[in-house]
Amino acid sequence: VNQGFLDPELLLSLGAVAGLARVDADGGELRLGAMATHRAVEQAPAAAAWPVLQRAFGLVASPRVRNQATVGGVLADADYASDPPAMLAALGARAVLRSPGGERDVAIEELILGYYETCIRPDELLVEVRVPAQPAAAVYRKFRSRSSEDRPCVAVAAVRDGAALRVVVGAVAETPQHFPDVCALAGDGALDAELAAEIGRRYAERIAPIADARGSAAYRRRVTAVEVRRAVEALA
Amino acid sequence: VIDARVTGAQRYSVHVERPGMLHAAFVRSPHAHARVTAVDASRLPADCVALLPEDVADLAPYGCQARDQRVLADVARHVGDVVAAVAAATPAAARAAARAVDVSYEELPAVFDPVEAVAPGAPLLHPAAAQSAGEEVSIGVRPLPRTNVCHRFRIRHGDVGDGFEAADVVVQRAFRTPGAAHAPMEPHAALAEWEGERLTLWTGTQTPFNTRADVAYAFGLDAGDVRVVAPPMGGSFGAKTFVRLEALVAALARKAGRPVKATLDRTEEFLCLNRHPATLRVRIGATRDGTLVAKELDCWVDTGAYADCGPGVATKMGYAGVGPYRIPHVRVDALAIYTNLPPNGAFRGYGAMQSVWASERTMDALADELGMSPLELRRRNLLHDGDEFATGEVMHDVRFAECLDAAAAAVGYEDDPRGAGLCVLLKGMQTPSRAAIAVERTPVGYVLRSASCEMGQGVRESLRLMGAELLGCEPGQVEVPDPDTDTSPYDTRTTSSRSTHMMGRALVEAVRDLRDSGGDRGFGEVANEGGLDPDTGQGIASTHWHQGAAAARVRVDEETGKVTVEQLHGVAYAGRVVDRGGAELQNDGSMIMGLGTALFEAIDFADGQVANANLSDYNLPATGDLPARFTHELIEREGAEAHGLGETALPPVPAAIGNALHSLGIELHELPMTPERVLEAIDRR
Repeated sequence: VNQGFLDPELLLSLGAVAGLARVDADGGELRLGAMATHRAVEQAPAAAAWPVLQRAFGLVASPRVRNQATVGGVLADADYASDPPAMLAALGARAVLRSPGGERDVAIEELILGYYETCIRPDELLVEVRVPAQPAAAVYRKFRSRSSEDRPCVAVAAVRDGAALRVVVGAVAETPQHFPDVCALAGDGALDAELAAEIGRRYAERIAPIADARGSAAYRRRVTAVEVRRAVEALA
Repeated sequence: VIDARVTGAQRYSVHVERPGMLHAAFVRSPHAHARVTAVDASRLPADCVALLPEDVADLAPYGCQARDQRVLADVARHVGDVVAAVAAATPAAARAAARAVDVSYEELPAVFDPVEAVAPGAPLLHPAAAQSAGEEVSIGVRPLPRTNVCHRFRIRHGDVGDGFEAADVVVQRAFRTPGAAHAPMEPHAALAEWEGERLTLWTGTQTPFNTRADVAYAFGLDAGDVRVVAPPMGGSFGAKTFVRLEALVAALARKAGRPVKATLDRTEEFLCLNRHPATLRVRIGATRDGTLVAKELDCWVDTGAYADCGPGVATKMGYAGVGPYRIPHVRVDALAIYTNLPPNGAFRGYGAMQSVWASERTMDALADELGMSPLELRRRNLLHDGDEFATGEVMHDVRFAECLDAAAAAVGYEDDPRGAGLCVLLKGMQTPSRAAIAVERTPVGYVLRSASCEMGQGVRESLRLMGAELLGCEPGQVEVPDPDTDTSPYDTRTTSSRSTHMMGRALVEAVRDLRDSGGDRGFGEVANEGGLDPDTGQGIASTHWHQGAAAARVRVDEETGKVTVEQLHGVAYAGRVVDRGGAELQNDGSMIMGLGTALFEAIDFADGQVANANLSDYNLPATGDLPARFTHELIEREGAEAHGLGETALPPVPAAIGNALHSLGIELHELPMTPERVLEAIDRR
């Protein structure tokens, strides 16, 4: 809107809708209302058992931006160069979509379809995100090529839940990138340096990186190999 | 008392309002180079006013150094060039009206690089050389006819042929620097109001008298018929210099018969005035013992669609690039070149950053070739009092060695030069120039009337503190009103870190005059004489030198190319410090801007269109980008004059960081030093 790409006649604020700004833990599940701000997620005692998620939200831009930006906004906007989607996807979070006809919930990877494109139907509102309990082994790495307040150039969210490894790479392509077959290489054994490097290499091969002011496609591919390796090493 | 800028009580030019005023919006060219063939405003709502080509046909071209700009462009020379304007009751109505104006264009070939723009066959932006604007800006503009060169500055000192003949070691390097945004928090804003034939402009500007002269010239008025009032600016850094929106709002207000105000949005800020991109080539020769014998510097300085003060920037880039060294044989050729980019103008450092980056990076390359410490090479050749500079002038009150030694000591350079880098710089102040101030006694204290403009640099506070000391009163008794060309004495302008130095000395004279006259008003004026011959670069470049240095210590992630500046130390020679807190903030601010320039700031263009015209895609340094050890110092000397220091600590920062990378074998020749470029340099190592 500020840049003149959109010129809406009317903007409807959801700020006064009761219950949309919730941040609470409910039976081992974290429930984030669509209007909960990044800052609220970052600081809420109720989210303390999800430190990696608090970190991912806390690394977005500056406190002023985080006081305005919302959980629902960052997901519905589906900007590829954002921090929270990759982390939410790696944690297996689901978005709740409500319409006059009822409610459905979708995984983050199903929600975000492409550049600024989601599966939200015109009569639906993203009302909430539900995040399963965070395993102890979880990491979020944000690689910035410019300012500390910049969007990520390459973002890696990695979680190991028992034997299951989930690595999701954000900001390198139009949607968060997750390759379950590559993650399966981890098996249920130890994540040694060689394996971490192999997973990093394969992620770098598989992504179709975009080029923008934060880095060329070739550079993103190279950094993806490094950052995925480092993230997997950090889980060990 | 909490500063009004902190509480939000400060009123800036964006806040100025006049009864019955309209708001302006601009119709901008989507083409980088195109002739306007028709402007159709027939779809405009009845209550809007349109400024069309026929409305400005009587106005003369303007420009602070070359008169090459029309109030409305008949040929659009950059994407965003203003070809028509509208005024309406609200900003939103004005923006909607601007979209309703249909403009037809005939596209012309465009050029976006200064080196390409001087190649044979390049499209010409201004086929006829513009008239020099004359003595207001005190520069003899030397356009090269039928080329895109609007000014050529040269230094011819000694004989470089002989010099290189005598050299045992010669190194040559080429460098590039991109455009950058000043990005003040407050955008450009100006309001015009006519009363008969008399025009009043309220505008955020560093140059009230230059703006008055230029607008008066465009409208065929006497300078006295134009009044410029300059409210405090919410930042400028050079962006709010010379005529920006003032002629447009004056023409709109004339057509509307009502006051008209324009405020740019953030995207338009990137189309208004930016920093000069430059390509530079440096060649230095030395004897085996590290004595410099010859230097050549070529600068291709991209001034964009209009000259603005590009001739002055090219001149300063040219002589600052010689560096603070004794070199018997010097040749400099600096060209200010038109391209189809938005105009480039004054930017904190005024050309020095670009040539200091190139020159000081080459010094470290030379040190390598000589097998000598970069610190030792610099020490051996620095200018001292009584030495002759390449301009032929004899240096006085120079402390380059102290600045360099202080920087080196701060990072422990002599103990461990690996991962550390140094840079030392010389920068001039506007010469010649004049400054005048009036002191008026009131029942409760004093009023200081001057045209020194407040842009956050703290000149009001400096004048208040100096005034209180000289007048023997409390600072709170000294009032410093906004500059107003009707009531403030003439001052050349608030640029080139000159106000504390020049206006401070004028104030001494004014207080003396007040005492001597025994009346209620004192007047003081000072002038510095000099200037350079643009064809030989001989003369007086600066009556007072800005001297500084920087040292950096870096760590590099060799797998991603990410550079962490662990320590940055800036040094500025202050002479006498007037407002210590303000002086320290100037150093901090300069160094932070230098960090952005060094590591990530760049305007990206795609076919002349700014591709990152917002503060999400164009990154500025944030608190988190500051090095863990971020320090600076002011070098003071008993009995010295106050030296300007508003810009000194910016230009040396990129080269200090670049030289720290050089010490690790990582060679960067282009700014900014992004992780991707660093990784490529590591691959080349």
